[in-house]
Amino acid sequence: MANPIVTLRAYRDGLHLIIKPRLSIAEVEEAIQQEISRMNRPLVGTSVQIVLKSPVLEEEEISLLRSKLQEDYNLTVRGIDVVDDESVSPPIAAAPTTHSISQTADARAPRNSEPSRIIPHTIRSGQTEEFPQGSLIIYGDVNSGSEVKAGGDIVVLGTLRGNAYAGMNGRLSAVIIAMDFAPLQLQIGNYACRSPVSQEPRGYAEIARIGAEDVIIVEKFDKF
Amino acid sequence: MGKVIVVTSGKGGVGKTTSTANLGTALALLGKSVVVVDADVGLRNLDIVMGLESRIVYTSMDVIEKQCELAKALVRDRRVDGLMLLAASQKNNKDDIQPEQMKAICDKLRTTHDFVLVDSPAGIERGFSNASAGADEAIVVTTPDVSAIRDADRIIGLLQNAQIEPINLVLNRFSAQLVGNGSMMDQADVLDILNIDLIGVVPEDSGVITSTNRGIPLVYEDASPGAQAYMRIARRLTGQRIPIPDLEDKGLFNNIVKWFTRNR
Repeated sequence: MANPIVTLRAYRDGLHLIIKPRLSIAEVEEAIQQEISRMNRPLVGTSVQIVLKSPVLEEEEISLLRSKLQEDYNLTVRGIDVVDDESVSPPIAAAPTTHSISQTADARAPRNSEPSRIIPHTIRSGQTEEFPQGSLIIYGDVNSGSEVKAGGDIVVLGTLRGNAYAGMNGRLSAVIIAMDFAPLQLQIGNYACRSPVSQEPRGYAEIARIGAEDVIIVEKFDKF
Repeated sequence: MGKVIVVTSGKGGVGKTTSTANLGTALALLGKSVVVVDADVGLRNLDIVMGLESRIVYTSMDVIEKQCELAKALVRDRRVDGLMLLAASQKNNKDDIQPEQMKAICDKLRTTHDFVLVDSPAGIERGFSNASAGADEAIVVTTPDVSAIRDADRIIGLLQNAQIEPINLVLNRFSAQLVGNGSMMDQADVLDILNIDLIGVVPEDSGVITSTNRGIPLVYEDASPGAQAYMRIARRLTGQRIPIPDLEDKGLFNNIVKWFTRNR
């Protein structure tokens, strides 16, 4: 159920914490606590953009909120936007019709600052590799029944047969690349898709990313 | 110093016990001294497949509880020299044994025999960790179907974590006919997923059912294709280099069909 006061949303540039207007700081704090506890994974170490709908919270209330997010949830505040409620709100991931892909051009930027981890072997059924800080590169296959999760991109130098979850911290520019693509499920940010039944590997490398239609698209991988 | 080899699969019913009984007998027929150990405490079967169920007096549980000497608990198979069985207790369950206790038994057996084959129970819990505790090497048995292969993949991961090396694959119940008409995975597909060394392919053989019910391992039936496959695997285990024959159907029509389905 959506929280009526604050909303955490994943956008192409990371998480946004959207705070509705005309509320006391105490109500906002409580709502934030509820919203964060609703998330099924820790948000530790990620950054958020605070989006305030006018009328705005007081200056000291904002700084209080900033330090509280840092202390209680280990969330860094990236910046604060004030949006006039009457003006057009930022495109929301959950509302595909209003979402434009304006930020694909600078998709490289967050990638540059991300670390990556190399897994030098095949990931077998029942095994999980998780790297929320950045990208995963797998020198081998990701077999059926296994799972790879990364804050950034996932690159499989083999066959992807298991589940892959890129952009787990909300970076929607994350991609999944595999030499042979036969996954059970793909997820990028909060977008998920399931492969068609009995998909055979096509014999060339493929890339999955969020396309202009706001769905995960898988296409032949030519160059980055 | 002998080798301890765990025979395992993850999934049940793919032929671990049959493979253990046949490989143990085949190795003994090749002149090796062998102990086959049933690690399926509470659900023992190896004794039946080998036809030794009426002769069990002591089990590995009695050895662990120091009720008898290890040598006394070994049941000799009278049909062939050098083959012994260490049975599992039927009245206990798998949690009554610790991995270290199984390891101690395997380490002792290794000093007196060339091969110790441990028949692992299905699953990845205590029974599996007991069975693999003392193992130097592993044989993973799988059938060419997706569920058995996923479980084999899981088991291979666990064996690799336990640093058991090498891990060899036995592809069991392989049907050339089904591969030929495109309804079964072929050798190459299985190996592509599991990515370990293949030590043998055992064809589907209805003789297995009769041999199990009679308590006479298949390898005594020289003419049976399953027996020949197990004999070849046993020879490979002793270090002989024997190529794996191509069991796939070579009929022209099948090959044409296969060529088309492959290149779809």
